[in-house]
Amino acid sequence: MRRLASTFTGYAILVFFALVFVYPFVIQVATSFKTEPDAAASPLSPIPHPLTTAAFERVFTGTDLPLWLGNSLLVAVVLTAGRVFLDSLAGYALSRLRFRGRSALFGAVIAVMAVPGVVLFIPKFLVLNQLGMYDSYLALILPIIVDAAGVFIMKQFFDSIPAGVEEAARIDGAGPFRVFWSVVLPMARPALITLTIISFQGAWNEFPHTLVAVQDPALFTLPRGLADLVSGSLGGGTQYPLKLGAALLATIPVAVIFVIFQRHFVRGANEGSSKG
Amino acid sequence: MRRRRAGLPARRGHLRDDVTGWLFAAPVVVILGVFLLLPILMAMWVSLTSWNGQGSPFKGGVPFVGLDNYSRLFTRDDLARQDFMTSIRNNVYYVAIVVPLQTVLALGLALVVNSRLLKGRSFFRSAFFFPSVTSSVAVSVVFLFIFGNSGALAQLLGFFGVKGPEWFSDSRGVLHLLLGVDTPPAALADHGVFGLSWWEWLSGPSVAMCAIIALVVWTTSGTFMLMFLAALQDIPVTLEEAAMLDGAGRRQRFRYVTLPMLRPTMFLVLTLGLIGTWQVFDQIYVMSQGAPAKTTLTPAFLSYRTAFRDFDYGAGTAISFVLFLIIVLLTLFQRRVMRERRG
Amino acid sequence: MKLHPLAALAATALAATACGSGFEEPEAAPQSSGPASLRVLIASSGDPETAAVKDAAAAWAGSSGNQVTVTPAQDIHQQLGQAFAGGNPPDVFYVDASRFADYASVGALEPYADKISDPDDFYPSLRTTFTRDGKFYCAPKDFSTLALIVNEGLWKKAGLGEADVPKTWDELTAVAGRLKAEGITPLALGDTRDRIGAFMVQAGGWITSPDGKRATGDSPENLKALEYVRSLLKDKLAAYPKQLSASWPGEAFGKGKAAMTIEGNWIKGALKADYPDIRYKAYELPQGAEQGTLSFTNCWGIAAKSPSKTAAVAFVEAMTKAEQQMTFAKEFGVMPSRQSAKDAYTKEFPADTAFVNGAAYAQGPVNAPKMDSVLADLDAGLQQLTAQDPKALLARLQKNTQSALGE
Repeated sequence: MRRLASTFTGYAILVFFALVFVYPFVIQVATSFKTEPDAAASPLSPIPHPLTTAAFERVFTGTDLPLWLGNSLLVAVVLTAGRVFLDSLAGYALSRLRFRGRSALFGAVIAVMAVPGVVLFIPKFLVLNQLGMYDSYLALILPIIVDAAGVFIMKQFFDSIPAGVEEAARIDGAGPFRVFWSVVLPMARPALITLTIISFQGAWNEFPHTLVAVQDPALFTLPRGLADLVSGSLGGGTQYPLKLGAALLATIPVAVIFVIFQRHFVRGANEGSSKG
Repeated sequence: MRRRRAGLPARRGHLRDDVTGWLFAAPVVVILGVFLLLPILMAMWVSLTSWNGQGSPFKGGVPFVGLDNYSRLFTRDDLARQDFMTSIRNNVYYVAIVVPLQTVLALGLALVVNSRLLKGRSFFRSAFFFPSVTSSVAVSVVFLFIFGNSGALAQLLGFFGVKGPEWFSDSRGVLHLLLGVDTPPAALADHGVFGLSWWEWLSGPSVAMCAIIALVVWTTSGTFMLMFLAALQDIPVTLEEAAMLDGAGRRQRFRYVTLPMLRPTMFLVLTLGLIGTWQVFDQIYVMSQGAPAKTTLTPAFLSYRTAFRDFDYGAGTAISFVLFLIIVLLTLFQRRVMRERRG
Repeated sequence: MKLHPLAALAATALAATACGSGFEEPEAAPQSSGPASLRVLIASSGDPETAAVKDAAAAWAGSSGNQVTVTPAQDIHQQLGQAFAGGNPPDVFYVDASRFADYASVGALEPYADKISDPDDFYPSLRTTFTRDGKFYCAPKDFSTLALIVNEGLWKKAGLGEADVPKTWDELTAVAGRLKAEGITPLALGDTRDRIGAFMVQAGGWITSPDGKRATGDSPENLKALEYVRSLLKDKLAAYPKQLSASWPGEAFGKGKAAMTIEGNWIKGALKADYPDIRYKAYELPQGAEQGTLSFTNCWGIAAKSPSKTAAVAFVEAMTKAEQQMTFAKEFGVMPSRQSAKDAYTKEFPADTAFVNGAAYAQGPVNAPKMDSVLADLDAGLQQLTAQDPKALLARLQKNTQSALGE
């Protein structure tokens, strides 16, 4: 009896919180298919009445969203590829190569992870400006193409690969890069997938960096464009189907990847956690 | 063939190994150096000047003001100090509410999801975690609508006959509201420190800030829940069983077995929470830009605004370094407290 | 040994600095000759404005043999701020009057306006707005002023006629008393200096001296204005839009919750789009000690760093011609900044006479740099006007203004 009651309570809590966590997304999807009067009159309703795709038509014809989408895709893909490759290189060096200054370098990587990103807004702008890179694709990509957390994750993984796997290849006379590329890296597939997923997610959602790296609307990514679309609108009840529709489009790619690669997200969150 | 120690590459000469190692690490070193270390050095210089954004800050002719940008934040009786102190006040209340709330919620959810009796756990786990992986800008837009004047929350409260506040235009402090005082007592209104009266310091977060707090707790709890969940799954079942055999009740088991095992995770969650909440920016930028009546102004947003809107790059940079210092000091302080408790 | 990598980091960093291209900056921007390619950044009020400016720019480009790209900005303050710091600003851009002093004081603007033909034709109040240290910097694009907007239906219902339109503050109070009814607030009033400031001007006060050098916030005139507005709010003769569950006064007015409001000529388009059935008229604002209203305007700024200033001036010349401004007026409802276009405009839009007449006595936005945060602070105070002592509010304004102006 007592067990039943506690099971029931458990479910009740779960369902309540699941609603709290999921229902905002339901509202988001529903509202983006509503008309504006309907959205204002029944914001809570999960069923659009009448159902319309007018908001999405306006998103694609009335805003620069197609451009933002393209920029986001380009930037996220390049960033992901860059981070995965460069972080693995450095992680490999830190884990399996002996060289002078290695431990100090590892210390520096840990220190970098501890620097709060928010204090770097103005500094990053200054350096981009000095280097003449401000307001370019390069500015969107280069400064964040490596991240210390990724280096750390890869190093931890390479540490767990048994020593000696490189031996055979080395005896065959392969150079260090060949050993890394064709022997060790393939063994790191699980870590690479995890890193790919969290890099893509981070790159796709990146907002503050775009704020200080570019100002030309032609270089806006989705979060930046979306932010400018709504910023400071302070609950003024206008054009919500449009705004929520645009926000929905920004959410979908990550949502799809989340559903497919869920356990890698979970691992990413926990890998990230061991850095403290 | 020469003998080698297992697992270690041959030391065919230190130089060659050094070159290889540094070559592998070079891209990371160069990029972190140019886009992290160098900017910080540059910003340190700028924070000592009153550069107004015209031309290069590293040429002659840029007025050097020493530590003035820093000292004015604390000593000079003007609007800059007032804004800075207001932002600090707002962020303190924000941290004081968000960190405990998200930690407790994350732990609670983890305990429920971890319960072996329930089915569909992985579904619930995903549901709780999903908000954490979405774009901060996109969810801010969603919450603007939910908390908006004719938004979903207003309708929901309406079902219960409650008329909710107009979240984003309500600058009243929650503490003031709870105490039901409209006009400040003279003792609090006439005295103060750092340019704000005690009355202002003791306002609590504004109603508008509460909406942002709700959003942030909602988005971050999922990540922390996963961390607790991983730690819970690492607790040996035998330990709980042993406690059960000893006749420990559920509450006692939680208090004396589970919680101590969770201590390292708890420390981590609190630290990450503290670091994260002092940096709140995206949500402020999208939802309120500091309004209403500056009650959602935070140091991060203030530093951005001071530099890029008011063209006072020196002052803006100084604010961000002070924020940096606050975060570092708090983390160290917390580390010490936790260590003392443990010892 | 331990220092090794850090030293390497530092060395890389220094090397990178040395290569920085941003260091080489010529003092005066070199002027290119031949056909120019102008970049124009506008803060568009909407699609009609963007389209109209693009058409006009294309026409100019065609006849002058230059190239023009017009880009509408999402947040022009931020975009311009970063562009100036980045050293690569657009050649021509809108400058909001409230930001003019900030840009001019850091030397970002080219003071060209006297090179435009017949500069004295611009309304004197607009010229003042864009003049700093005796230099007339940039040509006013167009302008708008505040007027008293009256709901004709509610007006008649209260038994009021044309003769009852208030000319003074006392009359405004009296009329408001008669308009007050269940569910109807007499006056919806925006809760910022951009509306309440009009009362300060009518009382004979303002936030700064005309040259923008001295703070005059705590004058008795300003106090009188705030006390008057405060009494309207306290007696429920006026209300802020927030209290009427509206995002701006026009919304409350359009929904029939308020019988009067104080807004600019932009309200025409908004009412037409959102509340097409409402009947209303615009009158000049009632007087306090004198006649007063506020004007809002943009100018065509030209970057001091632009390499094609001559072409940019020619472009602005074309955009500010009286006929061109009349075209803009018809396309997106702004008022021409040239006095010579006044007659044509009032003939085309007779209902706007009250707005146009305001130009003669309008006060422009505060013309001093570093005032943005001071004024935001004033707005925060005005939002709580009923709960605050106006005197303390003005004292705070005075103190902040003085420190911003470096008095």
